[in-house]
Amino acid sequence: MNAPDVAQVTRLLTQPMLNAYADASGDHNPIHIDEAFAKTTPMGGTIAHGMLVLSFISEMMAGAFGPQWLATGSLDVRFRAPARPGDTVTARATAQEPKDGRLRYAVECVSQTGEQLISGTAEVSA
Amino acid sequence: MTVPLTQIAAGHTFDPMTFVVDAETSRAYRAATGDTLPVYDTEAAVPPLAVAALALGALLEAVGLPDGTLHANESMRVHEAVPVGSALVCDARLAQRSSRGGWVVTALESEITLEGRTVLTTRATVMCPAEAS
Repeated sequence: MNAPDVAQVTRLLTQPMLNAYADASGDHNPIHIDEAFAKTTPMGGTIAHGMLVLSFISEMMAGAFGPQWLATGSLDVRFRAPARPGDTVTARATAQEPKDGRLRYAVECVSQTGEQLISGTAEVSA
Repeated sequence: MTVPLTQIAAGHTFDPMTFVVDAETSRAYRAATGDTLPVYDTEAAVPPLAVAALALGALLEAVGLPDGTLHANESMRVHEAVPVGSALVCDARLAQRSSRGGWVVTALESEITLEGRTVLTTRATVMCPAEAS
C-alpha cells in the first residue's frame, strides 16, 4: 500500500473571495471583511479566514481521492500565519508511511514568498 | 445575553444546533472557495470541510468572541459522506480551557450527526486575548 502523489492546488486570494466566504460560511468577523476596521488592528489589514485557506488542502485531497476523501478523510492542522488578499496560496502534500490502513500525508499551505501558513497531516482510508 | 467564550468553563455543553446543508449552501461554499471539482455533483455530497466550517461558524456565533481571537488548530474526521440536503445536528462542548502567555486557549469539540449517525467530528483550538476576558 503506497500513498499516491497528490497534485497541488494554487489559488489567488482576493477581498471579494473573503467576502463571499464570509457569506457562505456565516463567519462575518470584521477582521476578514471590514478593511477600515482591520487597519486598526495589529494585522494592519484584512486576513483570510483560516478555514478558507484550509479548504485548499481539502480540495487537493478531494481531487486526488474523490469519494474516498468525502467519506473517510481527516485533517489535523495548525494555522501558523495569516494569509491576506493578494497572496497566492499553494496547498501541497508529501506522502508519509501509511498507518492503520490509512494513507497519510504531511500537508501545508505556503504563500508566494514560501511562508508556511498551515501545516499538519491528512489521512484517508486506503 | 451572549457569554464570552473566555468565561465559559471547561466541560460546558452547548445546546444542540441544527442546520441544513442544501444545494445552494454547498454551491455558495464551493464558489467562495473556488472549488470546481465535479466529485461533489457526481456523489451528491457536500465538501466535508464546508460542514465543519458551518458548524464552527454557528458555534462561534452563539458565544462572544473578543477582538484579536485567533483560530490556532483544526482537526476534522469524516465518518461518512454528507449528502446534499442533509439536516444535521451539531453537539458541541468546550473540552479544554487554559491560560497561557496572555491568552485564554479553548478547545471546542463537535460531533455532527445525520439521523443519529455520526458523520463528522471536529476539534477547534481558539485563542482569545486574556485581557478581554
